[in-house]
Amino acid sequence: MIDIENISKWYGDFQVLTDCTTQVAKGEVVVVCGPSGSGKSTLIKCVNGLEPVQQGRISVDGDDVTAKGANLTALRSRIGMVFQHFELYPHMSVLENLCLAQEKVLKRPRAEAVARAEKLLARVGMADHAAKFPSQLSGGQQQRIAIARSLAMDPIAMLFDEPTSALDPEMIKEVLDVMVELAQEGMTMMVVTHEMGFARKVADRVIFMDNGAIVEDRQTAAFFDNPESERAQDFLSKILDH
Amino acid sequence: MNYNWNWGVLFEEQYLSWLISGFGWTISVALSAWCIAIVIGSLVGVGKTVPNKIVRGICATYVEIFRNVPLLVQMFIWYFAVPEMLPEDWGHWMKRDLPNPEFVTAVVALGLYTASRIAEQVRAGIETVPPGLSAAATAHGLSTAQTYRYVLLPISFRIIVPPLTSEFLTVFKNSSLALTIGLLELTAQSQQIAEYTFQGFEAFTAATVIYVCIALVATILMQVLEKYTRIPGYVGKEA
Repeated sequence: MIDIENISKWYGDFQVLTDCTTQVAKGEVVVVCGPSGSGKSTLIKCVNGLEPVQQGRISVDGDDVTAKGANLTALRSRIGMVFQHFELYPHMSVLENLCLAQEKVLKRPRAEAVARAEKLLARVGMADHAAKFPSQLSGGQQQRIAIARSLAMDPIAMLFDEPTSALDPEMIKEVLDVMVELAQEGMTMMVVTHEMGFARKVADRVIFMDNGAIVEDRQTAAFFDNPESERAQDFLSKILDH
Repeated sequence: MNYNWNWGVLFEEQYLSWLISGFGWTISVALSAWCIAIVIGSLVGVGKTVPNKIVRGICATYVEIFRNVPLLVQMFIWYFAVPEMLPEDWGHWMKRDLPNPEFVTAVVALGLYTASRIAEQVRAGIETVPPGLSAAATAHGLSTAQTYRYVLLPISFRIIVPPLTSEFLTVFKNSSLALTIGLLELTAQSQQIAEYTFQGFEAFTAATVIYVCIALVATILMQVLEKYTRIPGYVGKEA
């Protein structure tokens, strides 16, 4: 479904991604991890064209993201994205947050958009908060709404950019629960996270990045039980043994 | 000080009608200029933040020209110089056939000048919106225009209501410069009353009180707007 072929990216002279290649099959859950600054967030932002790449090719469901003149808005509306800081529209109620792109991008009639929004809010346990504004809610609640907002677009795949790293510890679980459920339903997911418990539980594969390059790309069990590279062993020992 | 106070002069029919007429022109010039300023100021302010470099350059040039030339000089240029610089037919039309030439010129000059100041506030407001929000809108498939329309502008206009209030007050005060091109607005009428009656203190006190009242009403209107558009729990304190 998601094909990343030999992509490289520079910010000025600084190379952030070096010749990254990987695939995510339909229904597959891939966790991307690595030390900060390793390029993992940049990698998934390239998948929906939020960040341009200078070399290589990315295609999603057969559509080339990196082609010149690619219809990115149409493509993006089919890929859900969840951000570290939620990025809910602060001037809109929760319900309007879920309806905006449905109505303006997918051109759904109002009633249909509201019905879809209410159904998804119920699913993430936020049905009672539809009329509230984002800043009246906790981080965990906001992130669950952000997930619902992406799901309202009926995406073919979901990208998560450190969805729990801005949350208080006790709120991480409520967000991960939603994500686990989503994974078990067969959603194609690329998740940048440090939550290794989540990775072990639902990921089919783990990609480990360092210095803008993909160092390991392996089945989850194999990655945790015997990581090949020294860098990944070191990383795992630091985040698992505490 | 030997001064014969005579507040009654303000209520003599002739002078009272001058004050009322001056008040009317001040309000008309200021509000008309404000409408122009909001529309052009918003467009130019947005233009300074768009990805297209040429559009950004044009808008930045507009701001630098209109913000940096004194308003009085701009009034003179529009009134005295522009008709001479235009093709002859147009110049003649501006000088002979344009209805209320002083009023129209004052509105254009004040409107375009104020627009340059509003543009800077709109730009600052847009740049205050966290970049992640437009990334989110983009990621959901909204076009650049839709991102501005539904996300960036609604948030940034709320943020800039307080500085816009100052600008709204300034447009009323700046409208007094229209007297230099012959528009009989409030200041001009007060001056005229002073000259006719030699009651300068009373005449300019009347003008002062009227300007202060206009400012108070304008401030209250903007506060109502601010309260009405406030985002629950977002910027500023809860009412």
